[in-house]
Amino acid sequence: MTQSLINVHNLTKTYRVPVRPAGLWAAARSLLHPTYEDVPAVRQVSFSIQPGEMVGLIGPNGAGKTTMLKMLCGLLHPSAGEASVAGFIPWQRQPAYLRSISMLMGNKSQMLWDIPPLDSLRVLGEIYAVPPVELRRKLDELIELLEMQELLNKPVRNLSLGERMKCELAGGLLYSPQVLFLDEPTLGLDVSMQIRLRRYLAECNQRTGVTVLLTSHYMADVMALCRRVILIHHGQVLYDGELNGLAHKMAPFKLLRVTLRVEDFQGQALPADLPNGVELIEQQAGILTLRAPRALAAAATACLLQSLPVADLSVEDPAIEAVIDQVYQAGAV
Amino acid sequence: MSATSPSRSAVFSMLQLRGGWALVRGLWLSWLQYRSFFFLLAFGWMIPPLIAMLVWMAAAGDGSLQGLNRANLAAYYLALILVNQVTYAQTNWTVGDLIRTGELNRVLLRPIPPLYDALASEFAGKVVYLVFDLPVVAVLAMILRPEMHWTLPGLLAFLPALVFAWALRFLWGYWLALLAFWTTRADALLGLQDTLVFLLAGQVAPLALLPPTMQYIAHLLPFRYMLAFPVEVLSGQMDTRQMFTGFAMQLAWLLFSALLTLLCWRLGVRRYTAVGG
Repeated sequence: MTQSLINVHNLTKTYRVPVRPAGLWAAARSLLHPTYEDVPAVRQVSFSIQPGEMVGLIGPNGAGKTTMLKMLCGLLHPSAGEASVAGFIPWQRQPAYLRSISMLMGNKSQMLWDIPPLDSLRVLGEIYAVPPVELRRKLDELIELLEMQELLNKPVRNLSLGERMKCELAGGLLYSPQVLFLDEPTLGLDVSMQIRLRRYLAECNQRTGVTVLLTSHYMADVMALCRRVILIHHGQVLYDGELNGLAHKMAPFKLLRVTLRVEDFQGQALPADLPNGVELIEQQAGILTLRAPRALAAAATACLLQSLPVADLSVEDPAIEAVIDQVYQAGAV
Repeated sequence: MSATSPSRSAVFSMLQLRGGWALVRGLWLSWLQYRSFFFLLAFGWMIPPLIAMLVWMAAAGDGSLQGLNRANLAAYYLALILVNQVTYAQTNWTVGDLIRTGELNRVLLRPIPPLYDALASEFAGKVVYLVFDLPVVAVLAMILRPEMHWTLPGLLAFLPALVFAWALRFLWGYWLALLAFWTTRADALLGLQDTLVFLLAGQVAPLALLPPTMQYIAHLLPFRYMLAFPVEVLSGQMDTRQMFTGFAMQLAWLLFSALLTLLCWRLGVRRYTAVGG
């Protein structure tokens, strides 16, 4: 525990939000008697992250992911609880701390709008006190990796969303931070750029040991980079562990995919002796997909093989996206 | 320098001046893209004192007003135009937007003091405005033939009076702008500050030409010390006692606005980071 780079203990954030009914009268009344509501965004979250880990922070919209990242990078004071990152208390925002982290968010641009990105990157290098030789080397590396040569001399305002994202990434990685907080890093990037970026982040992590905490709505990002995920919903941790274990823990069922021999298929109903709890979720041109509780998967398979003209049968874990969708929709395990 | 005192590079690093200077360079690079905007802005700020100058010069005719003849009035107003451009804190108009739009996040995440952002903008701005102002004022001086009675103490005292005037005008506007942490439209207060500077800081008329009650109020409030005071110091209108009283008032208001700025920043950032940005 003491060797963790990021330690979060019972971290809580409650927003105090003014509320009033619609209408002019209510607006006037709220001037005299404003009423507030406490909205819990993060509730007693605890976890720790070891140096060099890459962890995905996932959850539906409004789950508290960004609030969590903002507290860890020092932009928000928590309502309760404690956190330390690289030995610092984030919300004290000490210069040494700010130099050791990088926070990339969709709505925060480090690039100066009217000048080419290369000028902005050099200014950032100075702000973060990167030694000149190291700055040149790092710039060359990032420019090549992110294929930015053609962007360097155009004003940032003339770049596309994806191109600007590349510049932000270069700015965030320029000073070799110890911890990277990434909020939707591949937003706006095309598929091949997403793949390259994931590869670079993984390489960066292996080479420099940078610790990464990442939120993304693209599960491909999380699956490619993070062995460990923390799933939060309504501000609480629902799952913290291996990505591979998520399906097992959160979706205690298997998918049975049955291909029937078309010539023998008469459109018959499912066998009557199919164990209770097994349900048909999709049927298309002789291919049936059933969902069975893990404990009943073997019995259901046997029953199907006995009763139906089966050409092929496979037993699979549900796709991770489907599991997460189920959790997001249900709101609980 | 003793062995225990910090070396120059240590002080440089402690104050993170390299980052601050980088901000100035970044702003210059940005502003070069739309320099005409800044020149027009500087021209706009010049207009009200120019109009006042022409009115008072016409009113003085071939005689004088409170001892100021046409050439004295021209000298007073040309100096005032330059001092106005140097002390006008245009940065404060952008502080409220930073807070409202959440752009302050970018500033808070940088490993340099957040005030550097405003100071860099101030410094970068002054240089750009003066590139425009100095030639314009030089041409006006050739046309209007100003006369000013320089004195050595006046000349020596002008520089500190100017620096303190800028610091006071900047910090007074900065703490007003920081009220955006609490109210969504603090800009109106900056507009009010500009109006009071126009009325009570020697723009609409040299203070000597104001009615006695107005003069008394102007000497008490901070606005005179943001603009008129350095011009009066330069033009040798004051005796030593008046100059010392003026500096004392200027420094007292400067200290007060520095304290208000510190208070508003501490409480404001705490509030900002508590409610989200």
